[in-house]
This record gives sequence, C-alpha cells and structure tokens, in this order.
Amino acid sequence: MNDDFALQDGKLQEVARRLGARAAERLDVERTAQAVVARLRTEPRADVRVLGIRPAWLRIAAALVIVVSAGVVVLNVRTPSVPTPVPAASAGGELSELSGDELRAVLEALGRPGGEQQAVSAQDVSLEDLSAPQLRALLESLEG
Amino acid sequence: MTRPEPVAAVPTDAALIAAWHGGDESAAAELVRRHARALARFLAGAGALAADVDDLVQETFIRAFRALGRFRGQCQFRTWLMTIGGNVLKDAHRRARRARVVPLGDDLRDTDGDPHERAVAGEAEQRLAAGLQQLTVMQREVFLLRAQQGLEYEEIAAALGTTPGAARVHYHHAVRRLKEYMQ
Repeated sequence: MNDDFALQDGKLQEVARRLGARAAERLDVERTAQAVVARLRTEPRADVRVLGIRPAWLRIAAALVIVVSAGVVVLNVRTPSVPTPVPAASAGGELSELSGDELRAVLEALGRPGGEQQAVSAQDVSLEDLSAPQLRALLESLEG
Repeated sequence: MTRPEPVAAVPTDAALIAAWHGGDESAAAELVRRHARALARFLAGAGALAADVDDLVQETFIRAFRALGRFRGQCQFRTWLMTIGGNVLKDAHRRARRARVVPLGDDLRDTDGDPHERAVAGEAEQRLAAGLQQLTVMQREVFLLRAQQGLEYEEIAAALGTTPGAARVHYHHAVRRLKEYMQ
C-alpha cells in the first residue's frame, strides 16, 4: 500500500489543516485556562486520587471475598452437612440391637449438627448414657 | 567577559504534569494554554459545533486532569488529550440526541452563525467537514490526528490503542471515502 497515497494529496491535507482553525482562533485560551483551574479547585483533588486508588481497593476487596468464599467452601467440603451414614436401623428397630460401634456412629452423626455434643467415651456408650435431648434426637432420626 | 544569561528552560509536559500532581495550579493552567487551541481545532474538525467548542475544550481538560493518574506517557500528552476530547464529543452528541435537539446543518458547522463568516468559510472545508461525518469514529480520529495534527502512525496507534498498521489502513480508508465524497 502506498503510504503517501494521501500525503501527496496536498489539497486534502491543506484543507484538513485549515479545518477548525477559526474555532481555535476564537477560543479565549486564558479564560479557558482560568475556568479549568477554577473547576479543578472546586472539585476536590482528593477525587483525583480516590479515582486513581479505587480500582486497587476494589481489587483487594474482590480478592478478600474470593479468599473468604474459598475458605467457606473448603470448610463445608471437609465437614459435610450430610451426616455420615448411620447404621441401618428401621424406624421400628431396637436400639438395643445396635452394637457399640454402631451407636457411637449414630451419636457422632447426631452430635455434629445439633451442637449439643457431649464428651462420650468410646468404650462406655449405651442408651443409658444418653441425655434426654440426645435420645429425642436419636429417635427422631430413626423415625425419619 | 560576561557569561551569557541562561535561557529559561521551557518545562516539558511531563514536568508540568508532575508539578500539577505536586499541587501547582499554575502548571495546570500552562498545560491548558499550551494545548487548548490544538484541541479546539481537533474538536471542530471532528464535528463539534462552534458554539460548543469552548465548553468541550473545558470538559476535556477537566476529564483529562481527573484521569491524569492513568496517563502512562504511552503517547504525547496532547495526543492523549485529543482522544479524551473525542470521547467528550461523543458523549455530547449522545446527550444531544437524547434531548432531541435538532442538529444544525453542516453549513453551520465551525462557524459562529455569522452569515458573513459563513460566506467566507471555504467550500472545501465545509465539504471536508461534512465528509468526515460520513466516516467511522476511528477513521475520523485517525484522519484528523494524521492530516490535521501531523502525527506519526506510531503515535496515533499508541493513543487510540491500535497498531500502526491498522492506523495506516484506517487512514487510507478515510482518505478514499473523503475523496469520493468530495468529488
């Protein structure tokens, strides 16, 4: 492509250079300069800096949100809200038929969401050791 | 033998920008004095009505000073100013359309409405001004920065966020269309 295709067209360039010349001549440069400075004075310079800084703050805030969200997701993954499988026991099943390990698993599953966990010895788990609320919760879970 | 007095150095745009950042209002005024007329020519060439040029120049400078923190010296300050001016002009046209202001005809562009002045305004200028309105924004801005302001393609490309090759192509398209329009 010929770079000077248009540059050689002196007339078009000349006209282009004249374009807007009268508008430029008419412009009162000193008055414009004073008006701009006056406006800059009334519109606080802090705005200039805040505008410059804002994107950085936004980026930091966005990064914090991402980190916190990721943390929440990781915690949820590590402590699933769905209880661990409870040993199969029909609603009508006898709790006395459950072994010690099975009862321990049931208690662990119940203890997590309820927040009413009590220190339960792994060896001495029996129905008699359960408090009233724990028993109620156990029954509810078994009855669906 | 007396030493010649040192010539007072003219501060560069970069020095004035730094001074303005340091709180020197006179630096801002100097930048306006230095570039206002070139900006007015660019805006008028890009289609600003004569009656609006003063306000548009002011608005461009205000917007530029607000955004000065983002100016990285990728091009000259004046070139950067003109790209902001182009955006200010676009916004003004958008507002005018929303306000349903009936635009003046091309024959009133770049005049103050004085019939004598209108008569004096060259026909070629008026045709070129009208032809520029037929171009895309990019073609118009590239043409004006090149033909009116005499800038290199590298400078134009840096200011408009394109490549020198693309700027060259825009320019040639613009010239071709303007010639067709003006013939």
